[in-house]
Amino acid sequence: MKVLTDPALCVGADLTAWMARGGGEGLARALAEPASIIPMLEAAGLRGLGGAGFPTHRKWAAVAAQPGPERWIICNGNEDEPGTFKDRFLLAETPHQVIEGALIAAVATGAAQVVLYVNPREAAGVLACRAAVAAWQAHPLAAAVSAAIGQALCLRVVESSGHYIGGEETGAVSSVMGGFPFPRLKPPFPFEQGVNDRPTLINNVETLAHVAHILRHGADWYRALGLGDAAGTKLYSLSGDVLRPGLHELPMGTPLRELVFVHGGGMLAGKAFKAVFTGGPSNTLLTGADLDVALDFESVRARGSRLGTGAMIVVGEGTSILRKTAEYVAFFAANSCGQCPPCKIGTHQVSRILERLDTGAGRAGDLEALENLSHMLPGSGRCGLVDGAATVLASSLETFRAEYEAALPRD
Amino acid sequence: MSDAGMTDGGMSGGIGFAAALAAWDAAAPAPARACGLEVADLLRGFHPDHRPGGMVSLVAGPNEGAPCPAQLAVLLQSDSLLEDVDLAGATILDADVLVLGGGGAGCVAALAAARAGARVLMATKLRMGDGNTVMAEGGIQAAIGAEDSLQRHFEDTLRAGHFAADKALVAALVGDGPDAIRWLIREGMSFDLADERQRMGGALLRKKPGGATAARLLSYRDFTGLELMRALREAVLLQPGITVLDGHPALELLTDDRGRCGGAALQDLGQRRLVLARAGATIMATGGAGRLHLAGFPTSNHYGATADGLVLAYRAGARLREMDSFQFHPTGIAWPPHLEGTLVSEAARSAGARLVNGQGERFVEELAPRDVVASAMLRELAEGRGIGRDGKLGLFLDTPSLEREQPGILAQRLQTLSHLAHRAGFDPAREPFLVRPTLHYQNGGMAIDTDGRSALPGLLAAGEVTGGLHGRNRMMGNALLELVVFGRRAGASAAADARQERPRNLGLNHLAGWRRGLVAAGLGLEAKGPLLFPPYGNVTPQDLRRRAA
Repeated sequence: MKVLTDPALCVGADLTAWMARGGGEGLARALAEPASIIPMLEAAGLRGLGGAGFPTHRKWAAVAAQPGPERWIICNGNEDEPGTFKDRFLLAETPHQVIEGALIAAVATGAAQVVLYVNPREAAGVLACRAAVAAWQAHPLAAAVSAAIGQALCLRVVESSGHYIGGEETGAVSSVMGGFPFPRLKPPFPFEQGVNDRPTLINNVETLAHVAHILRHGADWYRALGLGDAAGTKLYSLSGDVLRPGLHELPMGTPLRELVFVHGGGMLAGKAFKAVFTGGPSNTLLTGADLDVALDFESVRARGSRLGTGAMIVVGEGTSILRKTAEYVAFFAANSCGQCPPCKIGTHQVSRILERLDTGAGRAGDLEALENLSHMLPGSGRCGLVDGAATVLASSLETFRAEYEAALPRD
Repeated sequence: MSDAGMTDGGMSGGIGFAAALAAWDAAAPAPARACGLEVADLLRGFHPDHRPGGMVSLVAGPNEGAPCPAQLAVLLQSDSLLEDVDLAGATILDADVLVLGGGGAGCVAALAAARAGARVLMATKLRMGDGNTVMAEGGIQAAIGAEDSLQRHFEDTLRAGHFAADKALVAALVGDGPDAIRWLIREGMSFDLADERQRMGGALLRKKPGGATAARLLSYRDFTGLELMRALREAVLLQPGITVLDGHPALELLTDDRGRCGGAALQDLGQRRLVLARAGATIMATGGAGRLHLAGFPTSNHYGATADGLVLAYRAGARLREMDSFQFHPTGIAWPPHLEGTLVSEAARSAGARLVNGQGERFVEELAPRDVVASAMLRELAEGRGIGRDGKLGLFLDTPSLEREQPGILAQRLQTLSHLAHRAGFDPAREPFLVRPTLHYQNGGMAIDTDGRSALPGLLAAGEVTGGLHGRNRMMGNALLELVVFGRRAGASAAADARQERPRNLGLNHLAGWRRGLVAAGLGLEAKGPLLFPPYGNVTPQDLRRRAA
């Protein structure tokens, strides 16, 4: 069942059309019973869909519990990682369900400052968000939100700097405040000290988009959408060597096999399945042995990997794991902000060695150097960027060592 | 393959060689018989492009829905010989401009790019100069006569192509014509002079090509292309900044993640290894498709003309045009069998040689456009007025009458033709040639603009691989002009493009989408391309890819 990507809801920035399709009902219910919002999210089992899978209600409750009148909400639409293409779809095609979710969050946490933080490279998303925000300004529900929180609601679009690192929570805070999106050490967490050192709630676009539907249809309805213990639906960004790549909205907990072989149309050219790069792509690879894993946060974690953003880059026989890994590590190296020397130097070093191996100029000792780096690098940065690069390196090196060895010059 | 030549058109029988020779001898000079058909009807009825069932519709790629010969469609809609893993560990060469193909267009483009300051890599499947250019005999057109004009050349070219050509391309072609001749002379090419005794400052000899309204064909004897290629070869070898890789056919274009072309994956035939040639701009100059023997015809083309460039460019996203239009040269050898398809130059007809059927009649104006002459000949063969000899069917090209009317012409002006007769084992001054139409030229090809750029960023093209210049029928002498004019344009454009931002993350990024398209169209991935070597060469591309170890 499609919830977020229901074609009937893809109305663009047209607020009247959104309201005619049941939009605003969730917000109206939230305004009627503000105290029930957070328990409802808890009952629904909504979790952060930007990659971490942190229970959403706990974040909201933490911000709501902070003192002081100034609070912020950042709707994180900075999406920039290879293989992920869900937020750009939601922002460009159905911005109102995202905004409605953010306004419900404003009611629940008492935050008057609501920021749609959008990657400027996705021009269609920026345009749709601007038009959608303009449409909300004059709407009576927006005035009702102001009345409910006792402050004038300030809803606006902020373009991010377009850097990958700006999607990290503290980087986003820095960017919204006008600075370069440098991540900083945590704690303090953004829910304590975010924008202007005030409590700040940061949620992914997809997470907030679900909120309006949960408020409208109820927690039980939402929970029942998922398979097994998992709740709701998930947007899977499927790409790589499958016949039908694209954005697939499926029940949370759909088995990998079903995603690839049913919804993805199977392997391209009938090739054998080799592996999947999940999430960032910054996680441990899922291999043929993991085909039956249910794609939800817990089940994937039990396999030693992580669901991440729901990106699934499928690799078949005939596609080089080494080459893909080199490509992704090069992405991380290029997007390291440079604050932490191990990350700045380490990712570049790994990238150089992988590039060298891939282009036939590998040297004896390169594999050992990669192994050492994959042990040394994790945990050495303020944010998770270097960890992601090290994880994907270590995993591909461990699982597909033969490919790495074959790339060494024969002498 | 020579037997395949007899499968087309439902021809059989014909008049016996001895009887035909007697009829020809009795009637000389041959009387003309009225055609009795409108040109359009003649073409529709007898030209191989209009054979019923000869064309299929493409179902995948940029030209989906367009007609194309069935054999070519299989190659155009084929899967790659390479996989992503094959690129790992391949040798990498970097250049500003990569030229694929070492015929006339490739050499001109390489020269132009190198002189514009680019580091050029030229990769050829066979050897530099081993292409169709050297077999061009008739000459090269350029409007240099006092009574001639660019406008007339423009109109002649459009008319001969049945007004299907791109007018901007034709304007560029004819406009650059005179300067192209000057350029060739500066490169050291010789031309026939109107008065051979005048050593310095003599006017160039001009002949009238078929379908033209003015004498505009410049030539060197009847091996103009060979002379042109001689000059180009020397120029390339002496030009700093060009590296030539012989025996390096391209197996696939390299594309970046935005689909831009950034070079090609080459197979080093000698070392049996893959070479990745990365470049800011790539020029496709791989020529035509004659060795596919479309419709079972023999061909005048050289061994390497297997449509490789079309296949690679189409797969990577370049648009093609007029892929259903091919030129059949009227006078290919019909007998003896070992020379079947070999060209007898149009220079012979240009000089006045006539075509005669088995009843001793002329049946067509010999200097009409090639498609008209070829169709008229196929009609004679189909209607039983052809001449049979040892199971081969053809028509007479009346060289003895030509020699009688212009004594000495065979020895002085038509040396290649005389040499050919020697190889065939007869004296052309006493016995006529037995000829029939032969698959000669690909009229269509990659769509380009006047700067030689294709629709695919980073990919340019020049020469026979391109389409749009000739419409649905090429005029004699425009092919050599095309390769000079568009080789120079593409080379200069490529050198300029190479200064732009370089493509990054090069690989086979276009293949996943291409394969999805093939599967979606229900074609499957069994067919592999490009062909590289004709089937009778007993070498498959898969053999070449197999490692020695």
